[in-house]
Amino acid sequence: MEILKALSIGALFGIGLYQLLRRNIIRSAIGLAITSNAVNLFLLSVGAYDGVVEAYAKAIGQRSDALPQALILTAIVISLGGFAFVLSLLYVISARYRTGDNDEVKGLSH
Amino acid sequence: MPTDILVLLPVLVPPTAAAVAVLLRSHRRVQAAWAFGAMLTSFVCSSLLLWTVWSNGRPIVYQLGNWPAPFGISLVGDLLSATMAVMCQLVLAGGFLYALGCRDQCAQYPAFYPLFLMLATGLTGAMLTGDLFNLFVFAELLVFSGAALTAVSDDKFGTEAAYKYFYISFVASIALLLASGSLYVSYGTLNLADLAQRIAADPSPPLVLPAMVLLIIFFMVKGAVMPFHFWQPDFHTAAPTPVHAVLSSVVVKLGIYGFLRMTTLLFVEQAETIRAVLVVVGAVGVWFGGLGAVGTYDAKRMLAYSTLGQLGFILVAIGWGTPLALAAAIVYAFNHSLLKAAMLMLAGSVASRAPVKTAAFAAITGLGKKLPLAGVLFLLGGMGLAGIPPLNGFVGKLMLFSSGVEAQAYLPLAAIGLAGIVTLVYVFRAFQRIWWTPLPEDVKPKPYGDRLIAPALLIALSLALGIWAEPLINLAQATVAWMATPEWYVRAVLGG
Repeated sequence: MEILKALSIGALFGIGLYQLLRRNIIRSAIGLAITSNAVNLFLLSVGAYDGVVEAYAKAIGQRSDALPQALILTAIVISLGGFAFVLSLLYVISARYRTGDNDEVKGLSH
Repeated sequence: MPTDILVLLPVLVPPTAAAVAVLLRSHRRVQAAWAFGAMLTSFVCSSLLLWTVWSNGRPIVYQLGNWPAPFGISLVGDLLSATMAVMCQLVLAGGFLYALGCRDQCAQYPAFYPLFLMLATGLTGAMLTGDLFNLFVFAELLVFSGAALTAVSDDKFGTEAAYKYFYISFVASIALLLASGSLYVSYGTLNLADLAQRIAADPSPPLVLPAMVLLIIFFMVKGAVMPFHFWQPDFHTAAPTPVHAVLSSVVVKLGIYGFLRMTTLLFVEQAETIRAVLVVVGAVGVWFGGLGAVGTYDAKRMLAYSTLGQLGFILVAIGWGTPLALAAAIVYAFNHSLLKAAMLMLAGSVASRAPVKTAAFAAITGLGKKLPLAGVLFLLGGMGLAGIPPLNGFVGKLMLFSSGVEAQAYLPLAAIGLAGIVTLVYVFRAFQRIWWTPLPEDVKPKPYGDRLIAPALLIALSLALGIWAEPLINLAQATVAWMATPEWYVRAVLGG
């Protein structure tokens, strides 16, 4: 399980970072979403105390750590909002500049 | 009234007022008065916080929901974060005052003032929080409202600037998340005080170094430090004046605050490494920002590059790390906030007179003939930035250079000392083009523009702090004394 988790986090990071560096702005936005999901998965795997019973249960035993899940929940909500904001800005930019090429969006650099 | 509520109020008042301000959207004047009142209230609260902390001599801690320290989220008002919070709230209130008197269309949008209040929440919260993940949440709040405020700008390139800013900040937030995950897996806590204690006790876990590097990256992007600065000049060219006046002066100080915290609380043992990086990055940034400012085509862009240079001075001071240098860094940061906000407001106010609103030198040449007051203020502000007495910029520079002599760091001292002259070059070049060049015949400036009251107040304050600098210097020295003993901070948060 551990190795599977590590491999999938690594794969998501690889794909996300590769897309993030592409020239197409829509691809790079999608890369951003994939990378933030890779981070969420990474946060899931950092539970410092791997328990055998769930947190707040009555059963006796090593309890699992609920905090990483709370962190992920917050991070997911924030990255969802951020991605929606990125997409709406991209909509305006692609309508105004009529291009998906990073290098063509340069109204500010002279 | 229990004193610990004072830490909560600067973080609580702005968002509550923002929610009410949204309800008041159909009454423009009521909404403006309400939001400005909230901004002033929260400034008064943070000043009270600073006053109480300073006179009591110990940090004020508020445990949210009464959860005891390492388990819940704590808001900590020690002298460093209270000073930074007061500085932020002061400039934010100035920016708000400018927004009330500015002629931008975007300041008329019903969501403008609420978003500005949320920006204030994010910034103050990030300074006052004692929890790494909470820092992420507040930083995101800050970025979201800042980017939204930029996207609605009158400038047609506002969306492009907002996109660049948001995208890069989002990547920085990913770095912060990775850092907090790495620290959590190593130590099982995210509370700054608890982390400091545990890192000092056992710095061996393998993920500590990556976490440190990722935190440095996060704060460098927030502070627009040299290799991570690329969003900043573009952002300033297009953002509305009240917004970038705040962003270039106090939001970048989040990076400064972060580095001060990292070197004196979280990574005290490893601080030497961080400091070595900061001196190099700062000295390069001073030159890069200065030369970039000389070579630019736009007054606001020039001031944005100048921020890179001025932050370089502060980073070099943090890098030297002696008590005098740290005090110099705090004084310099405070002064730079006031001066840079005022200068950007003046540039924006000149730009608002141009036939088409822009701060490009080609469009604003000679416009100053009608604005003598703005000219006086711009000259004073420029002298402050360059470090000429009697403005407060001189005090900061003097402290900085004497700390460099004391630390015997002559090579970086020579580098940044020479670069100080570049500041004079670009400031006076801009002054000459705007106020000394005659107005071209075919240009018809607008008869009205943004009000000058906010920059006038800020310049007056920096003049006062330049002549009577003692309170600020005493405050900075007391802050440094606290930073030198992180045990006080840890004990105040964790109890015992």
